[in-house]
Amino acid sequence: MKFIATLFFCCIIPYSLFSQNHTLSGYIKDATTGEDLIEANLYIKENPDQGTTSNIYGFYSLTLPAGKYTLIVSYLGYTDQETEVDLQANLRMNIEMESGIKMQEVTVTAESPDQNVQSTNMGTVELDMEQIKTMPALLGEVDVFKAMQLLPGVQSAGEGNSGFYVRGGGPDQNLVLLDEAVVYNTGHLLGFFSVFNPDVVKNTTLIKGSMPANYGGRLSSVVDIQMKDGNNKKYEIEGGLGLIASRLTAQGPIIKEKGSFIVSGRRTYVFDLAQPLLKGTTVEGTNYYFYDLNAKINYKFSDKDRIFISTYLGDDVLNYQTNARDFSLKIPYGNVTTTARWNHLFSQKLFMNVSAIFNRYDFKIAFRQDQFAAEVISGIKDWNGKIDFDYFPHPNHEMKFGMNYTHHTLSPQNLTAQSGETEFDLKFDPKFAHELGIYILDDWKITSNLRMNIGFRLSTFTQVGPYTSALDGNTYNKGEPVKTYVGYEPRFSFKYSLSDKSSIKGGVAVTNQYIHLVSSSTSTLPSDIWVPSSDRIRPQNSIQYALGYFKNFKDNMFESSIEIYYKKLNNQIDFQESYVNVPSEEVESNFVFGEGQSYGAEFFLKKRKGKLNGWIGYTLARTERKFPDINNGNVFPSTYDRTHDLSIVANYELNDKWNFGAIFVYGTGNAYTPVKSFYLIESNFIPDYGNRNSARIDAYHRLDLSATLTPKPNKPNKKIEQSWTFSIYNTYNRKNVFFIYYFPETNVAEGTASIKAYKVSLFPVIPSVTWNFHWKQK
Amino acid sequence: MKYAWHITTLLFLLGLFSCETEFTPDVSIYEEQIVVEGHIEAGDRPTPPYVLLTKNQAFFSEINSTSFDDLFIHDAVVTVENSQNTITLQEICFNDLSEEQQQIFSDFLGLGDTDSININFCVYTDLSFSMMGEIGETYHLNIQVDGKELSAVTTIPEHIPIESLNFSPIPDPDNDTLQELTGSITDPTGEKNFYRYFTQVDNEPLIPGFTSVSDDIIFDGSSFEFPIPKGQPRTEEIDPNTYGYFLEGTTATIKWCNIDEAHFDFWNTLEFNMANQGPFSSYTKISSNINGGLGIWGGYSATYYTEIVPFD
Repeated sequence: MKFIATLFFCCIIPYSLFSQNHTLSGYIKDATTGEDLIEANLYIKENPDQGTTSNIYGFYSLTLPAGKYTLIVSYLGYTDQETEVDLQANLRMNIEMESGIKMQEVTVTAESPDQNVQSTNMGTVELDMEQIKTMPALLGEVDVFKAMQLLPGVQSAGEGNSGFYVRGGGPDQNLVLLDEAVVYNTGHLLGFFSVFNPDVVKNTTLIKGSMPANYGGRLSSVVDIQMKDGNNKKYEIEGGLGLIASRLTAQGPIIKEKGSFIVSGRRTYVFDLAQPLLKGTTVEGTNYYFYDLNAKINYKFSDKDRIFISTYLGDDVLNYQTNARDFSLKIPYGNVTTTARWNHLFSQKLFMNVSAIFNRYDFKIAFRQDQFAAEVISGIKDWNGKIDFDYFPHPNHEMKFGMNYTHHTLSPQNLTAQSGETEFDLKFDPKFAHELGIYILDDWKITSNLRMNIGFRLSTFTQVGPYTSALDGNTYNKGEPVKTYVGYEPRFSFKYSLSDKSSIKGGVAVTNQYIHLVSSSTSTLPSDIWVPSSDRIRPQNSIQYALGYFKNFKDNMFESSIEIYYKKLNNQIDFQESYVNVPSEEVESNFVFGEGQSYGAEFFLKKRKGKLNGWIGYTLARTERKFPDINNGNVFPSTYDRTHDLSIVANYELNDKWNFGAIFVYGTGNAYTPVKSFYLIESNFIPDYGNRNSARIDAYHRLDLSATLTPKPNKPNKKIEQSWTFSIYNTYNRKNVFFIYYFPETNVAEGTASIKAYKVSLFPVIPSVTWNFHWKQK
Repeated sequence: MKYAWHITTLLFLLGLFSCETEFTPDVSIYEEQIVVEGHIEAGDRPTPPYVLLTKNQAFFSEINSTSFDDLFIHDAVVTVENSQNTITLQEICFNDLSEEQQQIFSDFLGLGDTDSININFCVYTDLSFSMMGEIGETYHLNIQVDGKELSAVTTIPEHIPIESLNFSPIPDPDNDTLQELTGSITDPTGEKNFYRYFTQVDNEPLIPGFTSVSDDIIFDGSSFEFPIPKGQPRTEEIDPNTYGYFLEGTTATIKWCNIDEAHFDFWNTLEFNMANQGPFSSYTKISSNINGGLGIWGGYSATYYTEIVPFD
């Protein structure tokens, strides 16, 4: 604490002494909908070095010496705005931006021309939802996570899966936030679709490199998703019909230009439609569906105060039943998140946000056969309070500081079973913990060439009672500390400009992770259980070093970068090699601990202008783990290891009506543990496994194509716009291996046996079509 | 309770889209190891120690009886020691036996009719019956062959019998000649108990249940009724409508056993492994109590129950 206080006073106090400067501040908004624009760039035409970006609430603050300036504001997908400003006193100015009409223009004006070269951000990517919507999608379901997988350093967790690995980290090492609430289960249908309805997502930021100090709690990456606030000027309804799901979103003003709402829903119906076919069969009544519901309201009390309340609710539900044996299986699982936020402007230089957040993930499996029934439930629940300040003390300093407290309740799998009149239960007590993060960071322009982002995060995690230690049998009362961990997390990144169009950037980040999810799957399963650091489990810890060269050329038509990184991972967790998933044991009793490292180089080339645009991303990487209790203590490639990972994304706008998209991906096959030999037990051949992850399935590659037709584009007076998106997934029908299995058959008496090995591929060529509509109040 | 529920969900997808192709895995990673499958049984039908010694095998697509014969390891020195004495087992091969002995041998191993036996099956056992399985006794196995030494230890635990068996008709009118079997036990409180069961129909071989083992963590100290599904060969496809049911009029025999923890771990990991190949599980290494090799040396305390499946 002393360190933070010293840093605070050293950095902040002196700048308040500068008095000849004036501050220009306000919000940057969409002119049509009133939506705040996040990370919009604002800079002085005469000196592009003097600039800033809007925060996640659209607020900006820029302190400049008195004078006349030409202000340029640019934002992905919007027409640049030029404004003359005569700054003789502090000035509040809200800026409204007109949305770009064509995709072509979107890419022309995206970002200030060399934002990627000039910022200290490394490995940070903003994803544009409108652009993602024109890309090919599996079964027509647009998915922000699958678009993210096409960036260098981000790897898909498997065929069609929305799960992802960042720079060799596991799926649980990604911090996924929806309006600041942690989303613990991000996948529907075993991860084939992410839980984020594309119609309600305003902005997605992926941070895979040097994580700024305002984020913490995970080792590998941050995916920060902001929901739309709702149009505060006019009503809109949009939606779509796809092959497996439909979407509907309504938004509009509550009080014009003061408050707005948005409500959005998505649900699958493919198995509902199949119900008549199941009638009369032994599996009548079997169904599966998932849905998502998002809602948000916001209200501006004054120029200085605004509140937002948002919520997300989503579930997967599987009901399987067969009347042939009076058997039923029900598996519901899903997330709830609720965020309430208050924005307050203390001054033109000091912005505050206070958030109260609740989030929960529950999983349940229940089966019944005749008089036997069993139910297993597990879950995690957080109460979270946050306070964050953005402080703009001086033209050369942008600071953030704040704190974040979370109360975790983690329920391990609880089993109850019934056999006739007899009841069994095997309940493990929930575990409780306090997690706290305090941070400060300063983005500091030291010279016109050199800029640094220096930050520090102090994190603590305390497991508290009621708890009985499995190690020493000690019991702890409610609220009594069991074990406390403290993490010191320095974060540092810099940018040094070599020229207007090129720079070198570097960074170091230390991160700690206090809650963990270990999966026996390549991705994660909804039944996987989050467990806290405790007297048995130490926090995961990592340090990442990254260095990059960034260059734009051909008048910013092309953007390119090369980044190299090295990441050391400590206290990594895996299951012991003879792990059997039974609900009768606490999952952590099967954990083993080790360490890991990952290193690689990422190459990125993006064409930003022209009718044909897109990018090529390539990653060359290695990810290893070393556990004393796995693979005889020898180093082995991690499940997340992928030597080569290539993505090519192209978009071509033929004319106003037709837009075409293509995606090609290539990746080294996943590592798996091969069967070394077979041996005879009870007349069956049983597999004996070789070294962990010592074999590879075939390389993965796939081409997807899409075409979007807008039959009557850009008629300004038209109330309803509609479009059709045609997609082909896996165009050349590549049989990518999803998993392999062995099938032994033995007849000992006859002395014959055979073993067959199979590669199973999941998705062949799949065409799909989606119809979208958008109604706007005139 | 080893639930592979995700497979159910996946079936929706697999059924819609998936496709499989056969392939030949890499055989260069093969390393020869000795495999032990050895048992000793106490209870209703006590047996002497019985040890099958084989070699593991690299991936193969098909093998015939000649290569099958090559799996057996000959001329090993196999000894078993308990608290009273140590015996050396003799190697007995099927082809060396008289016809009468062959039938006893075949029945013992569950191989069926002797005429259909095409291989020269060899086991190590003690035909003098000088050491029979006893409840509470611990047995040390030692094997020396080709300069290698393997060892293992097992204990035959106390037996906890089935108190009652009950057949009842199933709800499916399409399969009205099938009956479901349930049994009831009283598990002793406070001690760890491990169970394994086998079923036999008429004169067919005894086959373990598909999920044949259980510990008592969930039901420690309870008296309760539970289903006993009929065993079926592991490689046979499961028919979800008829799996585990007994046919009316047949004679059902249930072999009900208690085993020690290491013995349980072996079958538990083996059965989990066999049921969970696929995209959502990494491998599960099969636990073995054999030092220096693969497989199991396990003691059973067993009771046999025979009932005729009644007509509804």
